[in-house]
Amino acid sequence: MAQIALGIAFLGAALAAFMAGIGSAVGIGIAGRSATGVLSEKPERYGQLFLQVVLPGTQGFYGFVIAFFAMGRIRAFGDGLDLVNALAIFSACLPIAFAGMLSAIHQGKTCAAGILMTAKRPEMAVKAGVLYAAMVEVYAVLGFLISLLILLQIQVPTTA
Amino acid sequence: MRTVDEAVIDFHRYPPIGPDDWRYGLATARVRCLEAALLSRATLLDMANAASFAAAAELLSGTEYALSGAVDRFGPVEELLLQRRREVRELFISLMLDDPLVELLRARHDFANMRLAIRRIVTDRPVGSGYSDFGSVSPEEFEEAIQQENYNAFPLYLQEAIEEAVLAYYENRDIRAIDYAIDRYEARYRIRTAHEVGSVFLLSFFRVRIDLTNIRTLLRLKAADRMERGLFLPGGFVEVERFIHGLDLGYEGLAPLFYATPYYETVEGGVAYFTAEKSFLRLERLCEEYLFGFLRTTRSITAGPQPIIAYLMFKETEIRMVRMILTAKMNGMDARLILDRLGE
Repeated sequence: MAQIALGIAFLGAALAAFMAGIGSAVGIGIAGRSATGVLSEKPERYGQLFLQVVLPGTQGFYGFVIAFFAMGRIRAFGDGLDLVNALAIFSACLPIAFAGMLSAIHQGKTCAAGILMTAKRPEMAVKAGVLYAAMVEVYAVLGFLISLLILLQIQVPTTA
Repeated sequence: MRTVDEAVIDFHRYPPIGPDDWRYGLATARVRCLEAALLSRATLLDMANAASFAAAAELLSGTEYALSGAVDRFGPVEELLLQRRREVRELFISLMLDDPLVELLRARHDFANMRLAIRRIVTDRPVGSGYSDFGSVSPEEFEEAIQQENYNAFPLYLQEAIEEAVLAYYENRDIRAIDYAIDRYEARYRIRTAHEVGSVFLLSFFRVRIDLTNIRTLLRLKAADRMERGLFLPGGFVEVERFIHGLDLGYEGLAPLFYATPYYETVEGGVAYFTAEKSFLRLERLCEEYLFGFLRTTRSITAGPQPIIAYLMFKETEIRMVRMILTAKMNGMDARLILDRLGE
């Protein structure tokens, strides 16, 4: 039973890292393709576009941080990790896994639209291009916070 | 369940353009940059109002249409415009990831070449040259095949179109029958291909074009006092019966006939101008404006073939407008006539 509990807990950590990571990779890919298209005609816009290309990458980091925290908790339990706590760790990882993956993909699309607008109206790059993408980011941050708070709520046995 | 080709208008102003296609992210971004370099309406109006050809040409300095040195004949202008048109078509082909969409562009030129060739053949004139080199068959092969009457080298759609056009001509030995037959076949071919590639945008685009062609045909038939009911193309959003009914109405009844369609303003404006000026200029402009309004809805697409097709259309029209204005200016045409065509 202890082995199953350990597996469930590690599965949660893995999901947080790879789902958010996949989302970020797809999101950056979408934004990157649009940015490359603009840069092929207007290379001087590189600086304005850079932020919009890297924004979808943050979710990958959130997932990584949560996975790291989750592994810390698993280690703190040691051999005493039971099924209830394993499920708690697994559940804690889900918010950032799903919110991270989906928000990164949609943020990539929002950034791509912002990049196209920057191509025509560079003065709107931050006002609309970055800000709208940042609004998508809010929901990844919320997912990250909830994952973090759940992990912090899990009571780790103190060593005497 | 209804089929997509039924004459049903289930949209308010413009038909649907379909979803994004993220494979086209890079191509769409390039096109958005190039769109920013399109000539503004103000520039075209200034050209139309310019005092002379030289003044109109001067307004193009700083654009890709800039002419080097003083130009007093149209040859260099035409050469420059042909070069720009060639470039935009090559760009379109390079940006398109779906071969059937490129084939549709080529088919447009194939049909134009075919129309020209058949007209020459049936009127016993030499097959000659002057064919577009953007068709799926090169001009040289095209001329040779036509001369030898060996159509096997052509794609199937072209072979079928030839057969229909020639048969239509020999029914009454009427040269116009060739155009009607090719128009009909081309419209059918486009709708069929749009279905095959599953493109919502192309289907809407071609159906709008069929409607606008039918509107033009209706007014032209009425102007010529002809009652040929079989000339309207099927497949548009508006049913053919409505156009046929329009032949029986007076000019004042035409706009109300289209009241429940998105073409009401187009017909109303075009008919009013025609009855006052006996000219189709405004109808042509309003049809073009409706089509461009539809193409402008592709701005909501972040990645997809729609903005690329729209850009090709915009660019080709821009080249045509520049040619029209410069030709008019070189021939000393009244600015008002040019403005009527351009729109104030």
